[in-house]
Parts: sequence; structure tokens; C-alpha cells
Amino acid sequence: MIELRDLTKSFRTPAGRKVLFKNVNAFFPEGKNIGILGRNGAGKSTLLRIMGGIDYPDSGHVITDQRISWPMGLSGGFQGSMTGRENAAFVCGIHGIWGSAKRKVLDRVQEFAEIGDYFDAPVKSYSSGMRSRLAFGLSIAVDFDYYLVDEVMSVGDAHFKHKCEQVIEEKRKTANFIIVAHAMPLLKKNCDVGLYLGPSGLQIFDTVEEAIRLYQQGIPKPAQGAPKQPA
Amino acid sequence: MGPATQHNPWLIQRDVIRALLIREMKTRFGKWRLGYAWVLLEPAMHIMVLAAIFSFLGREFYPGIPTMLFMLGGIAPFIFFSSCFNKGLAAVESNRGLFNYRQLRPFDAVLTRVLLEFAIYLFSLVVLLGILAWFGISARFNDFLLLVVINLLFLGFCLGISLTMCVVGTKFPEAARFAPMIVRPLYFISGVFFSLEQVPEEYHGYLSWNPILHMIELTREGLFASFHGMFANLPYLAMSSLTMLAFGLLVYRSQWRDLVRSQ
Repeated sequence: MIELRDLTKSFRTPAGRKVLFKNVNAFFPEGKNIGILGRNGAGKSTLLRIMGGIDYPDSGHVITDQRISWPMGLSGGFQGSMTGRENAAFVCGIHGIWGSAKRKVLDRVQEFAEIGDYFDAPVKSYSSGMRSRLAFGLSIAVDFDYYLVDEVMSVGDAHFKHKCEQVIEEKRKTANFIIVAHAMPLLKKNCDVGLYLGPSGLQIFDTVEEAIRLYQQGIPKPAQGAPKQPA
Repeated sequence: MGPATQHNPWLIQRDVIRALLIREMKTRFGKWRLGYAWVLLEPAMHIMVLAAIFSFLGREFYPGIPTMLFMLGGIAPFIFFSSCFNKGLAAVESNRGLFNYRQLRPFDAVLTRVLLEFAIYLFSLVVLLGILAWFGISARFNDFLLLVVINLLFLGFCLGISLTMCVVGTKFPEAARFAPMIVRPLYFISGVFFSLEQVPEEYHGYLSWNPILHMIELTREGLFASFHGMFANLPYLAMSSLTMLAFGLLVYRSQWRDLVRSQ
């Protein structure tokens, strides 16, 4: 269960506060995969991070009894001077995985990331593709109830993308996803509930198709143009 | 409320601190050739330089205590304090990437650094005393229990300072540039290279407001039997440590969400 209660979030801009969403109330029962849509800068990632407990709203609460992951494939927490193995061991550590369980996880990460001996080289010597493979391998190695996916599919080569999709397929049997993406097929395939972050704030739909329809209406067409927010 | 909700919060806290400690050790000492020896070399060099200057001046600082030891008793706690101060200022900025893990908040980063600095400080103090004793520079030991008490109090003091600086450094990045300038004059008025007994009585009223001065005096009193420590005041150190710790915790508690919140 994830419940959003009176959630408000705004950003400071030179032209005053820009409200992303205001007084949002929502309830997502267990077993719902959530897709978040919106244009660039609409606040999708921020909403995702607020739901994951990483970022905080201006006011309101997120109430949940689920174990929610960090954004999948995130490599920002890596320390460049430490090796891939040490970084992975650190992430295991903060999730309470030590000893033999940790070694098992590290083996899985090494196998998934396909970086071979580079696993014992400092992360700063990795290419960006290797980094994200390591990060993605790490996020599937730790078990959660909800996984956060923030456009992870847009990085990496075709082989990696395919692998990620397979993993999500596999994980969906035991866990749920909150996905931010611009790839409609991915959302259609994986999500039950759609959230659309538009100029008028956050709208919640029971099916992701409705959210997609609304999102695609917002794409400017030569005939009608994009709906504008009254200034 | 953490990702491992089936866990008890204390266990999560323990795991996070443990993992952070390992990480911090690796990043701090792993990259240099001498690695962990730097724990000792830094205060050792500091003390050598000061001791060299003062023995060059040809003064015995305190009757019955070798100058080297006298300096060591002042410099070690001060280095601990100033690293907590400076690490606190940078705790949020240098760990931004880590706050993507929801159970890891600035408090953990600050606490880890303070604990590590504390361990380094105690370790280097003991080892340097040992090395100096091996070279024949030693003084009669005084009071172990007093050392335990004041160091626990000082740990609380430094944690409070570090938490406060963590909030200050993040909310007012401009202030963070000036804050290190406070530490430098403190070095000169905290009794790192003098004892309050050697200062004319009329200045005591000003100098003795400084809790670090009391800490240094009490450290020397605990370490050396021939140190009088006439003006050092344990209740004052205790009071100011607990006040500082409470203040730091309150400031952090009222502001912590703002430290990680996107603006």
C-alpha cells in the first residue's frame, strides 16, 4: 500500500515558485504497478523520488508499509576511487546484507553486469555503459516490494535494454514497479495505474492507457497546438 | 520507516553506520601509498613542527612535563575538534549521491565521520605516547577514569558541533567559506601550546569561556601526574558538551528534511 496525503511540491525558479502538484491525495493498493507520464521538467522524477522516500514534499505525507528501492540503475552513489566490488559491498551493507549473503549478491551482480575483471577496478575507470550495468545489476540483486525505475531504459545498448526488460518481466512476479518513462510500450506492458503530470497538476487514472491518451494529446500537432496554461 | 521495514530501526542504523565506516576508511586511506599510516603521520608531523619550534626557542613549557608531551596533549584533542568542524560543514555536499538510499541521511554521514575522527584521535594519541615513551620521553601517568569521562563528553561536544555545521554549511554556503576562519583563532586561545596557569589571571575571565580549553587542560591533567590543572573545570566541560550536543541534535532535527529536499 502506498498512500499520498495532501502532497504539495514546488520548485524555486527565478520567476517565483513553480508548483508541480498541489494537495494530491491518492491510494495505491498492493500489487499495482504505477506509471508516471509527463513532459520534461514536469516533475516526474521528483514525484518518483518523493514516493520512494528519497526526496520530500513541501507539505503532506507519503504513507507506506512497503520496502521501496532506490531508483534502479542509479550510479550517483558510487565512489570513484573504490572498486565496483567495494561499491556493491557498501550498498549491501546499508541494506543489512553481510557475510555469505553479501558474497552471493556480489557474484550475481558481477554476472549480470558482465564487466568481468573490471569488477575489481576503481569505478572511475569505468565507461558510462559499464557503470550503468553495474548499477542496474546491483538494484536487482537486493529484494524489494517496489522498484523505482527512472528512464533507465534509455541508456545502454540494445543487448542491455533487452536484458533489463527481461529482468523487469521476471521481477514483476514477486514485486511491483513505479516507472517513469517516455517509452509508451514499456508503460503499457508493465503498468496498471497511470499518473499524468500535466500543466494543471497531477491526474490519476485507473488504467495507464488513459494517462497515455492524455499525454499524447499534449504533444503539439500542426492543427491544434499544445494546450497552454493561462499565464 | 526504511526499505527494510521488517527490521528494527536500531539494526538499520547499525548497518548503515558500519557500511559507511568501511567506505570512509577505504576512501580516506586507501588511495595513498602509506594508507593507514597517515592516521599517525598527520598529528605526528603537526606535533613535530610545533615541538621543534618551541624547543628551538629553548623553553621548557611546563615544569616536569617534556615539551613534546605537553604539545601532544593539546594538539590531539584540537585536531579532533577541527576535523569534526570542517567535516561537518562538507558532510552534505560531499555525500549527495548517497542520499539516494533512503535509509542514509545526513545524520549518518556526520555521525560516521565524527566516530571515525574520534577513533583516529584516540588511536594516534595512544600510539604517539607509546612511541615517545620508547624514545625515553615520558611522564608519570595520572588518571585514566578522568580521561574516559572527558573524552566521552568531548565526543558529544564534537558531534553537536558537527551536526550544527552540517546544517549551517548546507543552508548558508557562504557562511561555510568563513567558518574555517573561526577555527584558526581558536587554535591560539584554546591552550594548545600554553596552560591557563601561565596566563595572567586578568585574562582568565575571557579565556575560560572556551570549552575546548577546559578539555585540553583536563586531558593534560588526566595524562600527566605533575600537571596541576588548577583552573580546569569538569562540570563546565560537561555542561557545555551536553548543551552543544542537545543544540546540534535540535538544529538537525528541525532542518534535516531541508538538507536533502530538492528546492
